[in-house]
Amino acid sequence: MAYHSFLLEPISCHAWNKDRTQIALCPNNHEVHIYRKDGAKWSKVHELKEHNGQVTGIDWAPESNRLVTCGTDRNAYVWTLKGNVWKPTLVILRINRAARCVKWSPKENKFAVGSGSRLISICYFEQENDWWVCKHIKKPIRSTVLSLDWHPNNVLLAAGSCDFKCRIFSAYIKEVEERPSPTPWGSKMPFGELMFESSSSCGWVHSICFSASGSRVAWVSHDSTLCLADAGKKMAVASLCTETLPLLAVTFITENSLVAAGHDCCPMLFTYDESQGALTFGGKLDVPKQSSQRGLTARERFQNLDKKASSDTANATLDTLHKNSISQISVLKGGKDKCSQFCTTGMDGGMSIWDVKSLESALKDLKIK
Amino acid sequence: RRTGEALRAFHTAIRSSPGNTRNQAMKEQAQGTMLKVLTSFKSSEIEQAVNSLDRNGVDLLMKYIYKGFEKPTENSSAILLQWHEKALAVGGLGCIVRVLTARKTV
Repeated sequence: MAYHSFLLEPISCHAWNKDRTQIALCPNNHEVHIYRKDGAKWSKVHELKEHNGQVTGIDWAPESNRLVTCGTDRNAYVWTLKGNVWKPTLVILRINRAARCVKWSPKENKFAVGSGSRLISICYFEQENDWWVCKHIKKPIRSTVLSLDWHPNNVLLAAGSCDFKCRIFSAYIKEVEERPSPTPWGSKMPFGELMFESSSSCGWVHSICFSASGSRVAWVSHDSTLCLADAGKKMAVASLCTETLPLLAVTFITENSLVAAGHDCCPMLFTYDESQGALTFGGKLDVPKQSSQRGLTARERFQNLDKKASSDTANATLDTLHKNSISQISVLKGGKDKCSQFCTTGMDGGMSIWDVKSLESALKDLKIK
Repeated sequence: RRTGEALRAFHTAIRSSPGNTRNQAMKEQAQGTMLKVLTSFKSSEIEQAVNSLDRNGVDLLMKYIYKGFEKPTENSSAILLQWHEKALAVGGLGCIVRVLTARKTV
């Protein structure tokens, strides 16, 4: 487990380049900073300053090497590297509230932006006018869209919203692609078509993720639940009420295993059993250091009793690697079907890289299916 | 034998909790019944009762515990705190989060 403390403030969002040598992150302000790995160190190589509000989402297209950012200033920019300078192109999203999340489609010819305007802007490049245009998906979204994830077919898009629901829409743009072939989520996919909608949970949907095959989608909500819809089982939804504080980020690491993290500051494993249609908790992935237990002096014991009404020796500091909530997880190696390495960033300004094989050998009872 | 009766009353109260009603009178009656059942337990019997519930049962119990805190009677808070400790041990903080986020209250 490699942990690097970038900032003393939260990392609002991050994205990696294709070969994982550079990370773009927002240091809780209006800018995007790009760091490059230099041996064991990280050096800041670029500062992208264009947004007038906090940058809420960053995505780095691996093949075309373009960045897309979105912010509370209701704008999105597509950044292209020209020589050694990142040049921004403004994309008019036509929204009147903050943008909250952005994702390139798998083929990188479109990107989707979720916003507080209760809609999703699907943006694509119009060759003849040489600029980015967007179409809106509105119905039946009733509140802010907090997170998005594309299906591998480049057309279907999953959206998690503050109206407590997870939905899958078609974001088919005839100007840039062929008609999609049928999927387990449905065969007719005109733009804006609602292919799936979950029944209401009781919490804002913070994060949503398609499995590598696209036939499963998982999401985490603010009511401390994790849910999974399986298109292979007629979109049956399995849900798990966790014993943890709400989770803020989730990703598949195999077709049956998920890693999620949130306000408990540590990533956790969850397993989906297809035959039973059930989700189970597989354990915490943070192996705590063996903290030295020193005895308390009588004075300290009395102080504890006075301050906390208890004289126990429990540490007031967190044992976990991250010292504050984890807000984002990204897959680094292996893809969502055979993930061998993933990354977490959080409100403690730190970034941690987790190696799946090391976790499997360190945590004896860990079973990744 | 008294233990068995309290446990049975407990399960009955959990099972017959009015799920999806806006009827305030019904809710208050259920709250009253549940509070009576919870306060009738001896401290040593609470843990066993909590362990006999499934996940949904623990979530429901926690909702009633917090409802009980809202309208304290003379000795209710003390026994409810003991129930809270045992329910927390089984349900975790997630259980309390779901009391706060629930849209259907008990």
